[in-house]
Amino acid sequence: MSNKLVTGDGRTHIQSKLMRESLQDRSVINDTDSIKDRRILPDITVISIGGQSIFDRGKAAILPLADELAALHKSKKHPMLIAVGGGTRVRHTAAVALDLGLPTGGVAQLVGAMEELNAVILNSLLAQHGSITMPRDHFWDLPLYMNSGILPIVISVPPYHFWEPPAEVGQMPAHRSDFGVYQQAEVLGTTHVIYVKDEDGLYDKDPKEFDDAKLYEKITLEELLANPPETNMIDWAVFKSWKTGKNIKKIQIINGLKPGLLTKALAGEDVGTVITKD
Amino acid sequence: MSERKSLNDLGPAKITESGIAPGDYNPVAIMPDMRVCKLGGQSLLDRGRKALFPVLDEIIAARKADIPILLGTGGGTRARHIYSVASELELPTGVLAKLGSYVPMQNARMVQMLTAKHGGIYIMDDDFEKLPLYVKMGCLPIMTGMPPFGYWEKRDENSRIPPNRTDAGVFLSAEFLGCKRAIYIKDEDGLFTDDPKKNPKATHIPRISAQELIERDLNDLIIERVVIEYLSRSKWVKELQIVNGLKPGEVTKALNGEDAGTIIYAE
Repeated sequence: MSNKLVTGDGRTHIQSKLMRESLQDRSVINDTDSIKDRRILPDITVISIGGQSIFDRGKAAILPLADELAALHKSKKHPMLIAVGGGTRVRHTAAVALDLGLPTGGVAQLVGAMEELNAVILNSLLAQHGSITMPRDHFWDLPLYMNSGILPIVISVPPYHFWEPPAEVGQMPAHRSDFGVYQQAEVLGTTHVIYVKDEDGLYDKDPKEFDDAKLYEKITLEELLANPPETNMIDWAVFKSWKTGKNIKKIQIINGLKPGLLTKALAGEDVGTVITKD
Repeated sequence: MSERKSLNDLGPAKITESGIAPGDYNPVAIMPDMRVCKLGGQSLLDRGRKALFPVLDEIIAARKADIPILLGTGGGTRARHIYSVASELELPTGVLAKLGSYVPMQNARMVQMLTAKHGGIYIMDDDFEKLPLYVKMGCLPIMTGMPPFGYWEKRDENSRIPPNRTDAGVFLSAEFLGCKRAIYIKDEDGLFTDDPKKNPKATHIPRISAQELIERDLNDLIIERVVIEYLSRSKWVKELQIVNGLKPGEVTKALNGEDAGTIIYAE
């Protein structure tokens, strides 16, 4: 690296490997890559709490899970970041917005507010145990929270807002809650993400519709990408992005309606569906 | 206003995972007359006064002629420098995207200082909904070209550089606003059959389809790759216009909606 200013072609450059180069040139940008990404906060486990699957079920589903989270936090064994989904209110927002003809970016701009509501709900239950709602991009504050025994709660949807790229099919934003949680965990350099839903894990088709739906217990990302399930409990953007990701090794999907499973998953037990990547 | 229907006749179209049926979707263009333009970082800002002032003069003149304009700025050499430092440290793409957002922000602020007396106003993502006010007041809104993905920017295969940078951000602004074109002001006339700096026989390409450009599978490209991909599935933006800001009159033509430079179009 150097700190030299270079002139002579009408522009002023700072000397670096990328100086003067086109950042579209493959041979130039390939040179920026390596086999790994630096892990920024590797010890945190990111836990996603489903909107439709948990919050929309109300008290009966939320309270036992909140109790389990409080106990886990009290045990101080696992630094955790909790991300909440929005659920049926997100779906309703999208239904009305699209009927009105609003663009994909408009839908993306609107939905986060519905997740904020669930963050406030969960924080109302866990504040006495040390939780706090954290603006999602304040994760440089995480060391402070972890060291002072605070449990941060964030919303899940990524901040693509009006700039959500046009959809490949239809009009819905491709970058939704599950993807946002995955990406936050990936950039933090964590190894393990847990999605808490209302089914025992990932199935080859929707278990709510088909009695013969088969549960995947252990599966690799490669196998999953080669044989995608008919219906997805987790946004497909997660698996597409995980393919190029470097940090996350394990994504686990568990049933949040069954008390104790989250505790087991955090202890490293293979409960629910365990998806791994080499 | 038509008479209100009874409640049972009404109700939004049925929604699925991907949205509503194409036949039920009647998109609303938010601000279709806006000329969304990118000012190149390396190609214009890093050249300083000689390159930038004439371009700004043409933009201000067009704005005074009541053409609504939104400017997005590129990064340039300082962005390249920080990408280079961060890559060496093996920081993730999401961190690079965050780092890369600061330089275009500086450039936007420089342009604002220069155009303030003509209504130049620096805006942030959250000010986007105030665009109608800025246009009505005769202002020239200027923002970073970088989209707000930041830490949530996905990793590309074989590269640490964020794939969505200022070309993409400007494109996505235009797409959200419902514009037909996104305009990129650079230091070249657009596309050539070969690199004109190396091959004097290279000829200029005035129009080319996105598909044709993808099929050429060029190792280098004048615009971020994701933009070409988005163009093939966007609802509103059907053309990218790349004009040479170093040639007097080209920017004015582009702002007037005339063909100049190279147009990359969606089929």
